[in-house]
Amino acid sequence: MFDQSKIGQSFPSFTYQVERCKIHELNLAIGDENPIYHSKEAAQAAGYPDVPASPTTPTTFQFWGNPDFVKHLVAIGVNVMRIIHGEEEYEYLAPIYAGDVLTGVTTLVDGKSRQSKDGSSMDILTLETRYTNQNGQEVLKARQVLIVR
Amino acid sequence: MTTEAKLPTKRYFEDVQVGDEIPRLVKAPVTHLQLVRYAGASGDFNPLHTDPKIGEMLGIGGIIAHGMLIMGFLGQLLSDYVGPTALRKFGVRFKSMTRLDDVITCSGTITEKYEADGEARIAGKIQAVDQNGDVKASGTFVAALPKRGGE
Repeated sequence: MFDQSKIGQSFPSFTYQVERCKIHELNLAIGDENPIYHSKEAAQAAGYPDVPASPTTPTTFQFWGNPDFVKHLVAIGVNVMRIIHGEEEYEYLAPIYAGDVLTGVTTLVDGKSRQSKDGSSMDILTLETRYTNQNGQEVLKARQVLIVR
Repeated sequence: MTTEAKLPTKRYFEDVQVGDEIPRLVKAPVTHLQLVRYAGASGDFNPLHTDPKIGEMLGIGGIIAHGMLIMGFLGQLLSDYVGPTALRKFGVRFKSMTRLDDVITCSGTITEKYEADGEARIAGKIQAVDQNGDVKASGTFVAALPKRGGE
């Protein structure tokens, strides 16, 4: 049963510098060959100041920028071995480019327990991370639903 | 890295109609090496995605792909369609597990055209399915497009 009193709790903020190489590497793994994700020159030739973040680049912000994320989940009582990623949603508020320095704050915005028909229960957690860039501009909201069985 | 791959062509608000289908994206079969690369790139080192022994132990029969890799495929579909900085919202729900050798096809349909916050926007639904038609992820997006003569 998930401890409802944890709802509204924010984890300590983290800072992450958006790396050109990381955008390149992520898109290599995905197989997206769009040159603007792989070369500064190609990005600039297309009118961007630097390599832009691709749609799912924010996943690198979370895992590389916030290595304590799992620890924070454990601290609010989540069995991290039993997590299933249910949903992911990004709201892009302003473009993000390589070189930007982002500050992220993750908040547990919802948590509930649900009983399955077979009597087992699962917890459904919703986390929201808001990212602000080096100019104090809010650039991204990332919403994540984790199912803990 | 060579940069011979072509840049997607620019799309205008006027070019898109409700009901239009986004050109399908058929990905190469998912490989173990790809999941190892994705783990390193994303920073998600959950061994479920890279170590076959863990998959066997948990009774799920081998390794499964990162859900975010599948969302990455859908991101490629959208980035090719609207460009890298046009997306305003992009969300998916993960429906089933993706395994090695699965061939994922991404598709989408435009559901809405409207103006908001001084921008011309389109909205649509998207999904990723495997070679058997099983849905791996589905969701929605919103993007802002330039208007002809408006720049």
